[in-house]
Amino acid sequence: MKARLLAFLAIAVLAVTGTAFAHHGAAAYDMGKSVTIKGVVTNFDFINPHVLITVESKGDDGTVQKWQGELTSPNHLARAGWTKSTIKVGDTITIMGAGAKSGAPTVWIRKILGANGDEIKMGGGGDN
Amino acid sequence: MRSPFCICRSLVLATAAMLALGIAAGAQTAPQGSMKAAPAAPHDLSGVWTLHMPASARSYIGDTYTKEEPAMTPWGEAQYQATKPSNGPRTHTLDQTDDPVLRSCLPPGVPRIYLQPFPMQIAQTANEVIMLFEYDHTVRHIYTDMAKHPDDLSPTYMGHSIGHWDGDTLVVDTVGFSDTTWLDRTGHRHSDQLHVVESFHRTDANTLQIDLKIEDPKALAKPWTSQLIYQLKPDWKILEQNCADNGSFANFEK
Repeated sequence: MKARLLAFLAIAVLAVTGTAFAHHGAAAYDMGKSVTIKGVVTNFDFINPHVLITVESKGDDGTVQKWQGELTSPNHLARAGWTKSTIKVGDTITIMGAGAKSGAPTVWIRKILGANGDEIKMGGGGDN
Repeated sequence: MRSPFCICRSLVLATAAMLALGIAAGAQTAPQGSMKAAPAAPHDLSGVWTLHMPASARSYIGDTYTKEEPAMTPWGEAQYQATKPSNGPRTHTLDQTDDPVLRSCLPPGVPRIYLQPFPMQIAQTANEVIMLFEYDHTVRHIYTDMAKHPDDLSPTYMGHSIGHWDGDTLVVDTVGFSDTTWLDRTGHRHSDQLHVVESFHRTDANTLQIDLKIEDPKALAKPWTSQLIYQLKPDWKILEQNCADNGSFANFEK
């Protein structure tokens, strides 16, 4: 049981870190620019080519900013257990990842936390 | 009445037994590769396979076949320098790249199809080995009832493939390529003289090894060789994936 869990975690880490840009190059994102956004999901597109999540977060001054997060193909996430209902409009989530070089409010998502702070796992569904 | 020591010892032994059984059960159902798998039936390559390379390959295998650059002819080198890939060290954004796959959804060709990051399925008939790639529903037909390629082949993206069994290894020979595809995702080009030889060997029930030899006297100064390792995924199914959908995310990234 423990061996299986450790293997899964190892695969999950490798799957995410090893294949972040397997589908195309990384030119649009700055891998050194770490972004963390907590907000409410207003859109969840579980479609090819890449899953897209829109999150609205409220700044300290009360203004609402709309962020778009990009994930890998839904095919890989489906094999990691996701469906089109894994994230729902209205969910509070935290998305963490690499920010756009342009400064636009877009993120290449590397990690997602649910409302309770637990990670919503993305790995194990293969890529390479 | 049994002494407390006796009961305690029984509990310890029972717990140890349960833990041992749990660990053993875990090991038996552990991910494939952690225990020696059964040998495969001879000449059976069928199943859904995903690329599963050793850690030493992961720095380059998403984009190309070797860590080192291939030996190119002057023509091949000039072609390479002129390309604007999205993947690899000379990365361009999606609206700047001239990668025919990303730009126009042209077929990746052979052997580049192996680098597109989605699984593949092998199905076999009496006279063909058919490879069904999830990436853009790409198909390869490997004819196992042909001793040689037809004369006067029309060039195609995926080439014309014939295969024969040499013991438990399927040796596949592919020619007849158009020159539009890239050899890999980092922008290495080829000519219509491209000749690809692959050896498929199912080393155990869960592992498929493909030895690759890429030859092109116009583009490569010597053959470019590599080895791909695939892992069987009995629970996976090939899903739909269309390159045409990429139009939607090219706009997203601008």
